[in-house]
Amino acid sequence: MLEGRRGAVVRVALLLAAIVVLPLVVRPVVASEIWIFSIAAMALNLIFGYTGMLSFGQATFFGLAAYTAGLLMIHWQAPLLVVLAAGTLVGALAAALIGYVCIQRVGVYFIMLTFGFNQMFYFIAYKWTSLTGGDDGLPGIPRPPLALGPLGIRLDTSVRYYVFVAAVFLLAFYAMKRVVDSPLGVIFQSIRENPGRAAAVGYDVKRYKWLAFTIAGGFTGLAGVLYSMMFGIVPLESISWIISGDIVFMVLIGGIGNLYGPLLGAAAFKWLSETVSIVWERWPLILGVALVLVVLFLRGGLVEAFARLREATAGRGAEA
Amino acid sequence: MNLALLGGAVLNGLVTGMLYALMGVGLSLILGLLNIPNFAHGVLYAIGAYVLVSASKAFGFLGGAVAALAVVAVLGALIEWGGVRRLYRVHPDYILLLTFGLSLILTEAIILVWGPVGITFQPPALLAGAVDLGVTTYPKYRLLVMVVTGALVLACYLFVTRTRWGAIIRAGIEDKDMAAALGINIRRVFTLTFAAGTGLAGLGGALMAPVRGLLPTMGLDILPFAFVVVVLGGLGSLPGAILAGLLVGVVQSLMTAIWAPGADASVFALMTLGIIARPQGLLGQR
Amino acid sequence: MKDGGILRTEGLTRDFGALRAVNAVGLEVRAGTLHSVIGPNGSGKTTLFNLISGEIPPTGGRVWFEGRDVTGLPSHRLPHLGLARCFQRTNVFPKLSVYENVWVAAFSRRRPGALGFVRRTTEFAEVDAEARRIVDEVGLTHKVAARAETLSHGQQRALEVGLTLASSPRLVLLDEPTQGLAPEATQQMTRLVQSLAGRYTILLIEHKMRIVMSISDRISVMAFGELIAEGTPDEVRENRVVQRAYLGGRR
Repeated sequence: MLEGRRGAVVRVALLLAAIVVLPLVVRPVVASEIWIFSIAAMALNLIFGYTGMLSFGQATFFGLAAYTAGLLMIHWQAPLLVVLAAGTLVGALAAALIGYVCIQRVGVYFIMLTFGFNQMFYFIAYKWTSLTGGDDGLPGIPRPPLALGPLGIRLDTSVRYYVFVAAVFLLAFYAMKRVVDSPLGVIFQSIRENPGRAAAVGYDVKRYKWLAFTIAGGFTGLAGVLYSMMFGIVPLESISWIISGDIVFMVLIGGIGNLYGPLLGAAAFKWLSETVSIVWERWPLILGVALVLVVLFLRGGLVEAFARLREATAGRGAEA
Repeated sequence: MNLALLGGAVLNGLVTGMLYALMGVGLSLILGLLNIPNFAHGVLYAIGAYVLVSASKAFGFLGGAVAALAVVAVLGALIEWGGVRRLYRVHPDYILLLTFGLSLILTEAIILVWGPVGITFQPPALLAGAVDLGVTTYPKYRLLVMVVTGALVLACYLFVTRTRWGAIIRAGIEDKDMAAALGINIRRVFTLTFAAGTGLAGLGGALMAPVRGLLPTMGLDILPFAFVVVVLGGLGSLPGAILAGLLVGVVQSLMTAIWAPGADASVFALMTLGIIARPQGLLGQR
Repeated sequence: MKDGGILRTEGLTRDFGALRAVNAVGLEVRAGTLHSVIGPNGSGKTTLFNLISGEIPPTGGRVWFEGRDVTGLPSHRLPHLGLARCFQRTNVFPKLSVYENVWVAAFSRRRPGALGFVRRTTEFAEVDAEARRIVDEVGLTHKVAARAETLSHGQQRALEVGLTLASSPRLVLLDEPTQGLAPEATQQMTRLVQSLAGRYTILLIEHKMRIVMSISDRISVMAFGELIAEGTPDEVRENRVVQRAYLGGRR
């Protein structure tokens, strides 16, 4: 909380620079995915990093929103902003309902409940082929133009879509920052640190946990909507716990509890999966190894790694 | 639906249910003592099946099954000793994440060693064929699996509740620090329990290999159901895991017969309803 | 309800299976006093606190706070009614700074409506002022930015008390604030507790007899879960039952 203003300006500048540079370094499609999953990773960070609840089922909200968006666009030609709002709402609503059940339990139970719900929705999506296309996914998703008053901005190329995704990401990032900078940020952290004491000083812990979960669900839903329009199809994996696991990876590898950690994690994850998967089909093994190493030796993720690097070089500079 | 179909479905449910109970017992022991959901439990089940396939070529079916148990138990002990142990003081969430990472590594390892294609495995010739049970005919091997798995589950239950070792485990589950203070080598108990729990999963995998066939993802496929069993049964409760395992197996099997598309989702719906109605699980205490 | 009784319990009981940890305790604390609860280890003092503050529900009996029946209310409701407690085993927010610890406790009583949450934490001037005031009061000004887990034991006990005061309570339950403290830190803590007397009604659990005897207005003595005596320090000191059960005349 007590951070320098200069540091904040530098970080924002770096973020904007990253947004501009990224599509030059990787394909625009991959760059878009990085920002989309950054939103989902930020959401998980809110409930895991800040509030201390490890959810292994975020794909539930990602996927539900993606399918909702897809169906709205296919059957009702819904405009872009409506679809974004609807997806976010679906994510939040689903999280409110599911979260209400899950937060009745803590720790191991909570994790398994989020996991269990994810599985349930996955199997429903898998079998309800008339609605979701099942294993084949939901095809034919258009990319409606962005209607700003009289202006209708087409998003049909990957570069144009990237700009749009990056813009939405920035808004989402700002919103998340506001949440974290608000009293909720400290309250959530106090719940993570010591839920019993948080109650003893007057907070209804369950209610705040539920709130965190719901807010995260909304953000995750937003990410899901953006994802639905990426490839023109909503794949079944959008709601599978593979995506849930991926999001957990990103938060962990990036660095939990830090606002920028999830972004680093999403970038690292997507870059890894893009570049390594071309070379070696068994690349998930590397992912597993990376996770094991982070968990055992570098629990602060990339953020911690950078911090240590800075300390080490600063130390050497002072000596020299 | 006719009686033969129903009978078959119930029997299938019992076979699956016994397997789920076996997985649940192993997972429950680890959960109760070490307070972690072992995400690698599924892939270790898979490894058991694959080890059977390879080892049975040299040692026959029985030898293969024993090899499966031994290999997976040793692997479990290594995992506990090399990784899990470092994280006890940190947070259970990280142990979950460690086992999650391991499940990825091991799944890929299976593909590297045995290839990505599914394998079928025939039951030993002695147990091929079916038995006429009046209501329906049923494969001999599956009956055997049901009986053997059931016996294993019972043996575990008796071991934990009736033997001195079992008492030590239960003491550790109840209060690790106290057990350690009483001079029990709690570290060794942890390692052995982890090895035993995972060993059971490996053995389960081996026994089920002829029934379900083998796929590299079979571990990831069965894991959610094992979790449901433990959640539904109640944390650290062995009888709960057994009861929940059978319940889940039968429900899943009946639903497959009645309305197949809803079979898997219904298991999770069952878990949800169970948790809402009875948060501590069927037979859990806390 | 008698006049001046800010806190009253009647027949308060708590069983843990076959063990009756607290047995029909009837206590009355008068407003503005410093009321101590003493007794040997295991006599049920902390359990009594837990029953009053809502950490665990009683198996029998009732609790009234300022005339209001608060029996069995969950712990998060009591600070809003004016009752706050500290814990025997230090119970702070380890990775938050001292400032954040106190801030979050203070904010709980000064929460705005839903829309008010939209502001940044730095924009709540009143909460900031109160948090800093309390940090000063418990003597942690020089550690205001330090993470709570880096504090010494004595400093953590001070923070513990600070969290309790941040709820702006009228009744404060202090559970062994000097627990584990060296003599100098004990003196500091005692001075702090004394400075609170008069401004707050205090219900204090303490083991250090000299402190209890010198600062208390009234003392209740517990043994084996029961209240065996109550009175002024002099009365308690001379009470034979107490001497037999606990004091042994010395300490």
